[in-house]
Amino acid sequence: MTFEPIWGVIIACYLFLAGLGGGAFASATYMRLRTPHCVHLIRYGRIIAPICVIIGLVLLMFDATAGFHNPLRFALLLTNFGSVMTWGVVFLGLFTVISLIVLVMDLLGKGLKIPVWLDVAGAVLGICVCVYTGCLLGVAKTFPLWNNALLPVLFLVSAVSTGMASILLVGIFRAPQEFHQSGAFKKFHFFMPIFELFLVACLLFITANSAEAAGWESVMNLVAGKDAAAFWILFILCGLVVPTCLEWVMLFMSTKAVEESTTGHLISAASDALVLMGGFVLRLLILSAAMPITLVQPWI
Amino acid sequence: MMARYGMLIDTTKCIGCFSCRTACQRQNDLLPEQDFIRFEQREVGTLPDVNVENIPLQCMHCEDAPCAQVCPTGAAHMGADGIVEVDEGRCIGCLYCMAACPYQVRVRNPQTGTVDKCRFCTVSAEQTGTKMCTCVEACLTGARIFGDLDDPDSQLVREIARTKASPIAGDLTKSKVFYVR
Repeated sequence: MTFEPIWGVIIACYLFLAGLGGGAFASATYMRLRTPHCVHLIRYGRIIAPICVIIGLVLLMFDATAGFHNPLRFALLLTNFGSVMTWGVVFLGLFTVISLIVLVMDLLGKGLKIPVWLDVAGAVLGICVCVYTGCLLGVAKTFPLWNNALLPVLFLVSAVSTGMASILLVGIFRAPQEFHQSGAFKKFHFFMPIFELFLVACLLFITANSAEAAGWESVMNLVAGKDAAAFWILFILCGLVVPTCLEWVMLFMSTKAVEESTTGHLISAASDALVLMGGFVLRLLILSAAMPITLVQPWI
Repeated sequence: MMARYGMLIDTTKCIGCFSCRTACQRQNDLLPEQDFIRFEQREVGTLPDVNVENIPLQCMHCEDAPCAQVCPTGAAHMGADGIVEVDEGRCIGCLYCMAACPYQVRVRNPQTGTVDKCRFCTVSAEQTGTKMCTCVEACLTGARIFGDLDDPDSQLVREIARTKASPIAGDLTKSKVFYVR
């Protein structure tokens, strides 16, 4: 029998949006501590975070058909604390509450009165959400591509990268002045796709040499099989390499005038949009390419 | 005393006729898409001495059931007598159990969205008093034996010892379904 991936586009969207939301909140907290004058960028992060996570959760509920038809069953999600998904529900729930409180305070003009501990608690929960999206897949021993310690790290880096990109993307158009002043933040963001590239290479090398043939099959799906076009063109090239090149030119090669010109803005915006696209494609590819150990060799 | 139910499947007797699957689907009132028994085939041996091996795969009722470990609502759980059960009224259809099952033998009900799998016919035992699994009775070649793994005098335990049957994937999980290869 041929294997059909268990989770598809909806879950990929959910993993992407949950990571993006958690990453955006953590990035906003980082800016609050390091560059508190960027009030608008911080606010954009605080707006993006709960919206993305809530959309992700709605998609998740929609995908869980049996629960969608019997919503009371969702209350049972807190019964098995041996399950990573249960922990995810805890993290997502607390994160949504804190991020909404912070957002409301910010929108009511009480941004300066938000306690640092609340922001930090939200950022920690946001990072937990990002890591959880990786652990959710990581504990399934069935799939060598998921069942390793690198995946949660890769998802975390990708999530923070997309979170930062989303803030910068909005900032370019809505608060260009602050965008120009957030050099340290942009340099931090610049290194994320490079780190991701390194993690992806590690993931593929380790998985390809896993004890199970399914590891090799999964990697081959990505680099030379059914998912190769999306992997090389959409993820590696457009999602990681091109943004790195564009950001490198904007950060280290161009003059201040170019950086602040419309062309400069459009180049930065394109780079951030590509990072977001790459983050989504990564989730989709990880779900789609993973092969289960006993279907590649049902007779092992 | 609680039993620890298990099964022996002799692939050297299996002719791949799907009788067990059909009987299972009728017994448990399943949809045509719901196949609790999945057949895999492979060629064994080297020319000229070759054969086709039929391998019916189903829930292995693992003692360390990965599906029950990951199920967030407790729908998949270890029931009485070592039978891994699904409480359909608790299932939200997140499909996490399907991802966790290394044998990929859990099946989604396309109408309700819930996930189900081989029940060792617990349903029939409770409702009609059937002691035997339907697939065992339906098998034309007697390839299946059902019984209590804790009863040293049972036919199941004696046949496992005689045929040196073992789980399909070694110690991947603590499977209670044994295969003669």
